[in-house]
Amino acid sequence: MARPKENLNRVVGALSQAGRVLTGRQLAGRGVTVYPDDVFLVSYPRSGNTWTRFLLGNLIFQKDPVTFSNIESRIPEIYFNPDRELRALSRPRMLKSHECFQPQYPHVIYIVRDPRDVAISFYHHNVKARNIPDDYPMTSFVPRFIEGEFDRKFGSWRDNVLSWTSVRGDSSNFMLLRYEEMKRDTARALLRVVEFLERCSFGKIDSSPKALQRAIDLSSPERMRALEKQEAGNWVLTKSTRNDKPFVRTARAGGWKSQLAPESVEMIESAWGELMESLGYGSSLRKATTPELSNQEMPS
Amino acid sequence: MKQKAAVPERVRTVVDKALGRTPAGRGLTVFPDDIFLVSYFRSGSTWSRFLFGNLIHKQAVTFTNMNRLVPIIYELPDRELRKLPRILKSHECFDPRYPRVIYIVRDPRDVAVSFYYYNLKVRVIPDGSPMDEFVERWVAAKVVGYADRVGCWEDHVLSWVRLRQGKPGFRLVRYEDLLADPVKELTGLASLLNIEATPERIERAVQLSSAGHMQSLEKVQSQKWVATKGTRMDIPFVREAKAGGWKKKLSAPAVRMIEQAWGRTMKELGYELVTEARPEPELVRS
Repeated sequence: MARPKENLNRVVGALSQAGRVLTGRQLAGRGVTVYPDDVFLVSYPRSGNTWTRFLLGNLIFQKDPVTFSNIESRIPEIYFNPDRELRALSRPRMLKSHECFQPQYPHVIYIVRDPRDVAISFYHHNVKARNIPDDYPMTSFVPRFIEGEFDRKFGSWRDNVLSWTSVRGDSSNFMLLRYEEMKRDTARALLRVVEFLERCSFGKIDSSPKALQRAIDLSSPERMRALEKQEAGNWVLTKSTRNDKPFVRTARAGGWKSQLAPESVEMIESAWGELMESLGYGSSLRKATTPELSNQEMPS
Repeated sequence: MKQKAAVPERVRTVVDKALGRTPAGRGLTVFPDDIFLVSYFRSGSTWSRFLFGNLIHKQAVTFTNMNRLVPIIYELPDRELRKLPRILKSHECFDPRYPRVIYIVRDPRDVAVSFYYYNLKVRVIPDGSPMDEFVERWVAAKVVGYADRVGCWEDHVLSWVRLRQGKPGFRLVRYEDLLADPVKELTGLASLLNIEATPERIERAVQLSSAGHMQSLEKVQSQKWVATKGTRMDIPFVREAKAGGWKKKLSAPAVRMIEQAWGRTMKELGYELVTEARPEPELVRS
């Protein structure tokens, strides 16, 4: 919390910002230019957004496989790319964002993941980003995660999810996609996304079983891990983070059951129980519900 | 205007950025004890700046000192705002960082009328523009960039109410209630503002913020206030300051348009609908 460091960061930030403005390379971020045929891939951090980008990128661009080196020119994220480059992409565009409700996003696929798993993944992500030390206790991390302390502008998991589902939940331009649903039956989830994209602004997407399988294989955790090993030093999201920690981690659902302390689980469930229930993330506190997902389709 | 000065504008932006002169806006640094007066446009937020400013400060609020006493986040740079009293006016849609929020909501039918005249005043729409056409654009949030950016009226209201209603640090205030009994509403907000609200203090604030007082201040100061400087002088910024004016000003089709788009939310907020109810509408947004 040293003031001089804060001030230095501010000056450095202002100068690099000015440099970017001067060269027309301002990062898009919240100020991203939005076109009426855009589709936004929105989620809280660590909810499967990169995996979804790989899956859809491999399905839509079938010429050559998606890698960390080309993903930002196919389904780019808005925070590390200049608006100018995003404007130059072919339309309709698909863009990744972590924003809370943004009224100007015309079509949104919102990816949601069990917050108990997000907590674990986000913990490791913050170690990788050097925001917390290696030995930082998970039980201390969880309350800070609940408060949304690590990236305030995205809000807490609850703020982020609820801001979208409560304002856009009924809209035909909004689709809720659960990470767990993608894990359980990736092809089926992809078909649902394809249907949504085609209804929004995309032309016909080849979603034959063969094309689906190819996209799934090219986006497997194993392949993504192998690519990360080669490309992490160049990819905007990983290049300045610790390279002894992976970005692509276990890629599993339900890891919290063995990795979160009961007190942490309880803390998350008592903070967000109602919202979690409504999304199918049953509480382990109330034994009546099972934590397994039902097959019931989520409203979209 | 934008096209004419593309290059100089960029240079100016660069200089402003380098010197930290860009208005804070959405990039505002938020502190844990900040208080925000949030509302959609034309929903009584300038009036509330007067009310709360006069409640908190000894100095009476005017259009010329308002930007220092109860600053808006769109006019001063972050650097300046850091030194000012931190009761800030904002028109943002839900922002998860705002720690304490007084959200003022107003009947959208009255907002429509008021916003129509405001956009005439600032020359976004020309004289003689049909109000019905304006309402149609407004319901779809296709009026003008700065306003469309924060979403339509319903997006704006719902984003705050669904996320923060019932949470500590959030108060929903209806413009109509504030108008009917300002003393009662202000008394109820004293704890959030962390002030001791004696009846005398509240009475003073209400009087120094009356529509009549604000109208006479506007006559004298409108050329000195950034929000009105250079706008049409024949249309006032402080208009009727009444509730229910839409009944005389809005056409039946315009009322229907608004009620069909946002009826459910309006009812939830206690705004009675006059258009016959349709079968439960499926929400379709453009």
